[in-house]
Amino acid sequence: MTWRLITTWDAAPGWNMALDEALLLGGGETPILRLYTWAPDTLSLGYFQSLQDVPAAVAFRADAEGTSPPPHFTGPLPGALVRRLTGGGAIHHTGELTFSISAPASHPLYKGPVEPSYGRVHSAIADALKQAGVDATARGEEQLDSDQSETGMCFHKSAAVDLVWAARKGVGSAQRRKGGRVLHHGSIKLFPTALESGVATVEEAGTTYSPESFAPLLLRAFRKAFAVDFEPGIPSEEEREAATERAPFFRSKAFLERR
Amino acid sequence: MRPTDRKYTKSHEWIMIDGDSALIGITDFAVNELCNGNEGDLVYCDLPEADRLVEAGETFGEIESVKAVADLSSPIAGIVLENNAAIEDHLEILSTDPWKKGWMIRIKPNSKSLDGLMDAAEYDNFVAASAE
Repeated sequence: MTWRLITTWDAAPGWNMALDEALLLGGGETPILRLYTWAPDTLSLGYFQSLQDVPAAVAFRADAEGTSPPPHFTGPLPGALVRRLTGGGAIHHTGELTFSISAPASHPLYKGPVEPSYGRVHSAIADALKQAGVDATARGEEQLDSDQSETGMCFHKSAAVDLVWAARKGVGSAQRRKGGRVLHHGSIKLFPTALESGVATVEEAGTTYSPESFAPLLLRAFRKAFAVDFEPGIPSEEEREAATERAPFFRSKAFLERR
Repeated sequence: MRPTDRKYTKSHEWIMIDGDSALIGITDFAVNELCNGNEGDLVYCDLPEADRLVEAGETFGEIESVKAVADLSSPIAGIVLENNAAIEDHLEILSTDPWKKGWMIRIKPNSKSLDGLMDAAEYDNFVAASAE
């Protein structure tokens, strides 16, 4: 089977989320793997997350509106703020390879309960990480050193299916299931980021990978795990138009403050 | 066999006519897909307020488990009369009693016809086939 492959480096934050929405709503039977990065670096909120529960997001909004940032937030501010369609905690999209998979919920990768579907995707990611010298495993019942309360960050809260190494979370992931389709978001941390202190990174294994140089490892692992090949391409005209039209929504005050 | 006093959708909602109104919820299968038997994995549920119009197949709410957000779709068209506020604070109800206490919204249907929806036996077969 051949999947579509869409690679978009350093794309705008709202457009990144809007393109994933277009691929979720309008994609066909063929799964789509998208590999991307963000410019500027972006903090994304989970769909159900309260903005008030993420101090970095509160500080970003306060700075944008010219009011005082909360006194308990002293870190650097992200370059932009969006809200995702997928759930979970906030992610600082920098120093990482971000990916999305859009596919029918009936596809073998996603058919059945949610949790095992993570296991299938994570086994491929673990293989890619292994090629990079990282021994990643599912967290299971392990207590993580990277777990923190009060930050609202995805990488500071873990679940049994999360990929971890050195007792720290190194891959963030979340899904949206809508209209018989699945959007699966993932972030593979390559280097440390300012808003995600203490999380696991690929760099600490001894080799520095950029998102562009890690991508071939991920593709190789997906080919092997799912017996697929990839047809590189760009979003269709319809997908591009939808993404352009919807991009402002994901940064809008109404959507950012929906909770 | 699931309850025979209601009809079912392919997106795993159920609807039961109750006098002049209808109750809508999600099935045990839907709950299990989201939380895989761990009722604590359900974390949020957004339900519509009264007076909201819903079309057949339209999203009326959303539910989040630890690892996925899923849409809730209305089996038929109508107007929302009330939501089950108890669910938003006690999501475990959806695991322990999806058929009675786990109703999500009560709507006044535009039509009481449930044509095109599955009965319990058909839904059981649908679920069994989709799990293969």
